Amino acid sequence: MNLLWRTVRIPMNTFCLHRTFAASALHLAPVQLPSRAESHLWYLVPDEVKSVSLLGQYSEILSPCENEYVACIRGEQLKKTALLARVLVRTTIARYQTDGYIDPRSLKFRKNIHGKPELEWDNDDSGSRPPVQFNISHTASLIACGVTSSSPIGVDIEKKDRKIQNNIISFARRYFTPNEVERLSSISDLNVQRQHFLKLWTLKEAYVKALGKGISALPFSTFTIKSRNFEKKELNGSGDSDPEITVESVDGQRSLLSNWQFTLLELAGTHFAAVCVARDGSMGGKNMFNFGLGYGKHFTGLKSILTVSDKCFTPKKLTVMKTIPFVGDESMSGTDAAIVCGF
Amino acid sequence: MATFTVGAPICTKPTTCSLKQAQGPSRLSSLRLISLPINSKNFPSLRSSKMPPRLQVFCAAKAETVSKVCEIVKKQLALPDDSEVTGESKFAALGADSLDTVEIVMGLEEEFGISVEEESAQSILTVQDAADLIEKLIEKK
Repeated sequence: MNLLWRTVRIPMNTFCLHRTFAASALHLAPVQLPSRAESHLWYLVPDEVKSVSLLGQYSEILSPCENEYVACIRGEQLKKTALLARVLVRTTIARYQTDGYIDPRSLKFRKNIHGKPELEWDNDDSGSRPPVQFNISHTASLIACGVTSSSPIGVDIEKKDRKIQNNIISFARRYFTPNEVERLSSISDLNVQRQHFLKLWTLKEAYVKALGKGISALPFSTFTIKSRNFEKKELNGSGDSDPEITVESVDGQRSLLSNWQFTLLELAGTHFAAVCVARDGSMGGKNMFNFGLGYGKHFTGLKSILTVSDKCFTPKKLTVMKTIPFVGDESMSGTDAAIVCGF
Repeated sequence: MATFTVGAPICTKPTTCSLKQAQGPSRLSSLRLISLPINSKNFPSLRSSKMPPRLQVFCAAKAETVSKVCEIVKKQLALPDDSEVTGESKFAALGADSLDTVEIVMGLEEEFGISVEEESAQSILTVQDAADLIEKLIEKK
């Protein structure tokens, strides 16, 4: 389809300056698959997508079923978010082309038994299918899609200023573990407590989503998420600024859960984002593993941290990219838009 | 949403109440009101007689339950009072994410004095699903 783009106005403080497009067709710039040591996190800010014609193009990428679902949604903002979430997934996956162009419209999805969306391939697609795993999360004001090349991944985001209707400690007593309730109760500042609650929620959601389960299949009271660094601080007053986040099952089978890696970010200045990926286990005899992440203004490159067990796991580096499909991308790793936060 | 009490004059729309016993999940999303020109003079026997308790509870509770669920949902999702939320409304289509759904379930637990296992939460897709589950749990108590 031939398009004549008018000037697309994008807010200056978040993206590029004014652009004029005279594209003859919608074009998706290909992206290299994340290596086994990497995960990608793409995000989109719905408020920055204002072009009516662009939104129209987006609708044409969705399947009839998806368009029907979007049509059922009440409220323009919610409709827009639902549309953009599906567009982000389709276009992002299509960009990881290993063998020629993939039409985002051609991708098929299904849900697993617990409702987690997955890619579905026909038998004859084996040549061109990128081996990606993905997971999406969205609020009204941000949509995020995490991608790995083979590891299960779970992503969850929440707005930092989200208010909780119920009493936080009552809620935690009902749905979380005693250890987590204790940690929350120990926070006297109510705003800090609310933020810790949200971080904990996103981490727990990211975990059950990575497992492909969801809260119904894996109640939140069956596993505890905690900060190893916080415990170290409590015990001997020391500890770095990196929270090493771990998960253990309430019945004490820790070893089963040491293969999950968590990253907790403040994303776009407005949201908490939790990413959970399965680690790449490799028996090596070493007791250290290295971390590579953007730390806002303080990017320190590689940093060594003690392992959680005697296995040598290669942690995954997380690359954060902001995008508007068919318009452009901006790398956010190492900027204030993707800051690893304390837990 | 009106319940009716036998023995009192009722001003209602002249529609008939659906007296069908529900088989399995009910799809009643609005209460049909009975118009009963009851006057203790003309129907003295009705003064002390009652409708079969099961039928009375059935007609009123379902709609009232749905109504309360709608109220809790609107509050959680900060929807205006006049927004259209009915038994058929899907939580996801109203903009509820997973945290909203759990908060709503917790609100329902407190409102109705029940306990909803997380495993059941997966089957709650609409307001009616929630109301039906509440009824089931109340009955079990």
